Amino acid sequence: MTSCDHCDKPAIYHDVRIANGVHNTTHLCAEHAMEAGVSLGPIDLSVVLHSTENAISGDISKACPDCGMTVAQYKKTSLLGCPSCYQTFSDELNSIITQVQNNNTQHIGRAPAQASVDLTRHLQIRRLLKKLESAVSQEEYEQAAILRDKLRELHTSGEPNEN
Amino acid sequence: MKIDPDYNCPFNSDHTPFGDVVLSSRARLARNLEGFPFVNRSTTSDCIEVTSLLSQICTKNNSNLQLKWIEMDELDSVTTEMFVERHLISSSLAHAIHPCAIAVGPELSRSVMVNEEDHIRIQSIRPGLQLTDVRDDVHQLDLLVEEIISYAFDDQLGFLTACPTNLGTGARFSVMVHLPGLRLVKDLERVRRACEGMSLAIRGYRGEGSGTMADLYQVSNQITLGNTEEQLCNILSEDFLPPVIEWERKARMTIAKEQSQRLDDQTFRSLGLLQNARILTPEEAMNNLGNIRLGISLDRIDTIEISTVNQLLIEIHPGHLRWKYGKELDDDELNTRRADLIREKLGQ
Repeated sequence: MTSCDHCDKPAIYHDVRIANGVHNTTHLCAEHAMEAGVSLGPIDLSVVLHSTENAISGDISKACPDCGMTVAQYKKTSLLGCPSCYQTFSDELNSIITQVQNNNTQHIGRAPAQASVDLTRHLQIRRLLKKLESAVSQEEYEQAAILRDKLRELHTSGEPNEN
Repeated sequence: MKIDPDYNCPFNSDHTPFGDVVLSSRARLARNLEGFPFVNRSTTSDCIEVTSLLSQICTKNNSNLQLKWIEMDELDSVTTEMFVERHLISSSLAHAIHPCAIAVGPELSRSVMVNEEDHIRIQSIRPGLQLTDVRDDVHQLDLLVEEIISYAFDDQLGFLTACPTNLGTGARFSVMVHLPGLRLVKDLERVRRACEGMSLAIRGYRGEGSGTMADLYQVSNQITLGNTEEQLCNILSEDFLPPVIEWERKARMTIAKEQSQRLDDQTFRSLGLLQNARILTPEEAMNNLGNIRLGISLDRIDTIEISTVNQLLIEIHPGHLRWKYGKELDDDELNTRRADLIREKLGQ
């Protein structure tokens, strides 16, 4: 990576000017660019958000299977309905994430320390609860009893056993 | 735990590093629980389940933190207003009609909002430039929560949030800065350009889309993805603030040297007004307090401590005045009480 003309920090501003056949290049880090009063390209969130309102194309009735959120609803509120929406609408969201996150698309920050075991178990419980709710509402009591037993087992043993 | 607004003032920056320019530092983490819809798609029972889980966490194993758990529908209107003025809770949480709650530390600097835009918003606010400390505060609370709960997390996108603008780290670091010098030398544009170049957002005192009062500005990271929490914090504390603090101090010295008469006029005009007015709107009070804060920092006034002004910048807001003088006060009475309080504190 090119260093700043005035220090060893990586340059984030690059300028090339050609006058009378002579190239003049300037490389500046954020600090020296600030000092030089250089505009490093405005990122106005309100403008970005406004411009993303119409960025979603395709089927606006597409719905998330987990929460029912549709593209049309997202366009109205700019809020997603559940974690699964990120997967469901990944094609539609890519350009929005790229815009609002200044071309960053990969998380490099911290991850939950002990996610996996608890996460899996919690999800299993939630899924079983949903299935149980559905079974009861459809008066499938035999199925409901099986699901209830599985839930009990999961609660008491802490062992994943969804199927 | 007794909630006492006199106990701590987030703007009491006079004995903190760079307190002449930086009034307060804040960190916020946005988190959601795996297996639940986000708040905007949650049913009442989902919201109750989330608050119930969080109440167990916030009141358990927290002997050091001493968080007080408060369901928002049990919080009286004056305390709610006061918490909003201190940025302990957001205005949208204050007005929410679904089940939501807040856990707040006794020092009124740490808080956990439950069922705001995201299930969990962990916050810390401290006076002066203490970004590393507030970052550590929220991290400590984050660990406490994730010991028991699984967060909605994606390997590629990080912590999943209702709005993609908070995706990734879910971390927002911000500072409240006092920049009267740069306004007077007409150099605020340079700060705006610096913010733009570093993916920082600069807003007025009252937040997004607002103008400002008392030359106070909030600066925060605009992006949350693609950087570590430490990097995001350092953009503010190491890349942005040192040169801006330097510019502001230089601008103040330039004004003191080259526009001495104008500075004196502004300072003593504001002081005279604040020491004598019987009715003061929030804007008028804030702007004149900002002027005398500049005057004190340049030794124009030596009879008033800067901490008195810092305290007043918080205490003159409606929630704080109602807390002190009675919750039934209407706008006219608030303006009178505000003027009374300022005269009392500024010694006239």
